[in-house]
Amino acid sequence: MTVRIDADAIHLIGRCAAEDADTLLVALQDAPGRTVDLGAAQRLHLAVAQVLLAARPPIRGMPAADFLARYLLNLLQ
Amino acid sequence: MDELLAQFLVEGRDLVAQAAAAFDVLARDPGNAAAIDDAFRAIHTLKGSVAIFPMAAAERTLHAFEDVLERARKGSMALDGAGTVALVACLDGVDRWIDDVELRGALGEDADGVAAALIAGLPGREAAAPVSSSAATPDWARQLADGAEGPVVAFRYTPDPDCFFRGEDPLAIVATIPDLRRLDIRSAEGRWPALDAIEPFRCISILEGLSTASPEAVRAAFRMMPDQIALHRIEAAAPAPAPDAPAEAGPTTTLRIDAARVDALADGLGELLVAVNALAPLAARVEAQNHALAAAVRTAQADIERSAANLQRSVAAVRLVPLAPTLRRLPRLAREIAATLGKPIAFAMLGDGLEVDKQIAEGLSEPLLHLLRNAIDHGIEDAATRAAAGKPAEGRVTLTASREGDAVAITLADDGGGIDPARIRATAVARGLLEAEAADQLSDPAALRLIFAPGFSTAETVTGVSGRGVGMDAVQAAVEKLLGTIAIDSTPGQGTRFRLRFPANALTTRLLVVEAAGDRYGVALDQVVETVRVAQSALLPIGEGTACVLRGRTVPVLSLARLLGGTEQLGAHAKLLVTSAEGERVALRVDDFADRIDAVVRPPSGLLAGVSGIGGATLLGDGGVLLVLDLPALVA
Repeated sequence: MTVRIDADAIHLIGRCAAEDADTLLVALQDAPGRTVDLGAAQRLHLAVAQVLLAARPPIRGMPAADFLARYLLNLLQ
Repeated sequence: MDELLAQFLVEGRDLVAQAAAAFDVLARDPGNAAAIDDAFRAIHTLKGSVAIFPMAAAERTLHAFEDVLERARKGSMALDGAGTVALVACLDGVDRWIDDVELRGALGEDADGVAAALIAGLPGREAAAPVSSSAATPDWARQLADGAEGPVVAFRYTPDPDCFFRGEDPLAIVATIPDLRRLDIRSAEGRWPALDAIEPFRCISILEGLSTASPEAVRAAFRMMPDQIALHRIEAAAPAPAPDAPAEAGPTTTLRIDAARVDALADGLGELLVAVNALAPLAARVEAQNHALAAAVRTAQADIERSAANLQRSVAAVRLVPLAPTLRRLPRLAREIAATLGKPIAFAMLGDGLEVDKQIAEGLSEPLLHLLRNAIDHGIEDAATRAAAGKPAEGRVTLTASREGDAVAITLADDGGGIDPARIRATAVARGLLEAEAADQLSDPAALRLIFAPGFSTAETVTGVSGRGVGMDAVQAAVEKLLGTIAIDSTPGQGTRFRLRFPANALTTRLLVVEAAGDRYGVALDQVVETVRVAQSALLPIGEGTACVLRGRTVPVLSLARLLGGTEQLGAHAKLLVTSAEGERVALRVDDFADRIDAVVRPPSGLLAGVSGIGGATLLGDGGVLLVLDLPALVA
């Protein structure tokens, strides 16, 4: 389970694979503007990153993985 | 075809082959100066040749190619393994363009893009090549590098839209770039789509960024997708060294002759040989009247025969061509097939310097390509199966050409999964090629030969590479047309070997003359396994037929006279001619064996062409015609 949806945010957890892009997209379509929490993300597949780049949801959390924190986070904010 | 173009197609491919040979040496011995020189000369000459045809992309690629070799020659850049692979990829690209020009008279529409990718993949491209200077740096790269300190490498990675389906993650690839300083992800369509228009599994991103690592190190991260990446080193490059006047190739000592003229020469010579054969009966007739004159005729006959035989050898030698031009496209095609199927393959060729008759060299290309495709597609297992079997990940496919007496033997061996005779039987039955009972009675070698039956294909999934099971029967037909034979050895789990044998000298065929039903017929000696004489009592009636035991094996016996519609003469002994049809031995009973002769066998024409079992005809010295039988077709 790498996409978890709760009342207050969509959490991307651990290593998110290409399949998670679909789950994420559906979650964002259901509730546009919902926050996405990257605090527990270790890796995002480009398919997932693309959905975030296109949907531009509010982002919170600081991924532990250096690559995500340094290069992806600033593209999403 | 335009004469200039026809000449270019021949010479261009020769030059590609020369360069390929040099890279073979470099792959084993990186830095071999003579090989670098050879490759440089071939590429330089080829660049000059393509310039006169509408092949601008090829010219550009060859120009960059030549630059790299020039630097390697001067020692300002070392060619490593990866560099050689990139150069070979370029050479393959140019070879494909030569094919395009032959087929369509022009390069494909994608040629410019392909050229850019090939050039970008060349080793050390940014270090010294003129296009890497800041003046030629595209705007995107300059904008990325704006504000960067010191030399940086700007990259733009445009993944294939379907790459997610192949399990690729471009972001993970970018994460492996050393010393990454900046990363941008842009939409390939200019703007990101609205939420409800997103196709989540379609890659629509372009990834751009900067690294302070060397261009080679950045390129290494993208080694799996060289055509999707553009790299630019941002700094003022040192001016490229002016190339020396290239060494000119030595004066050529070969003469290109229209093949039809050589064929005409061979035909004329064949008729001369037949005419000379008429002298022997003439001398015999003179003998009765004038002994001395007969002796003089015989001396003259011997002289003419000797000269004609010498001439025949010379003409046969002219028709001999190296196998290399036929085979030289196979390594490239093997790489392409392997890439399409995603199977790593080590393809090796041995003995391509062998010379064979022109007709054989020309006829071999198609069947060999087909066998190669099959070996890679169906022979070599996928990576997981190979790993489980303890085999190296790289499948080995080896083509060997050698001379075996009067024959040329060509073997294509793979170390794949082998062919399972039980599966072949089952498939043949499922395809309705034969009854289950008949299939069970086949020996394993005979069952393997079912793959040559029309309409047979063991591929459970039809792949784009091997096609739909049209082929193995075509392979067999092509080989038989060249008077060759094809044999299969396969060990399940260890691999398959196809062995092709052809007569080395197709100009004359050695014939065994046999008598049956009161007539004489010729049989090509290479279709004869053995001739034996057995007692009539050794022939055993089996069902409606006859068989006999030869060397511990039961062999069916057919009557040649009856096959030809005549009646046989029965004696105390039976003379049997054993041949091999579809891998099984069959004995033909003949009335008698006569001489062995060398003859020019002409393919059947006119009425004869429609008669199954007739391989051709030859003129005898006395002006008579000898029909030459095609035994496999006759007994089939």
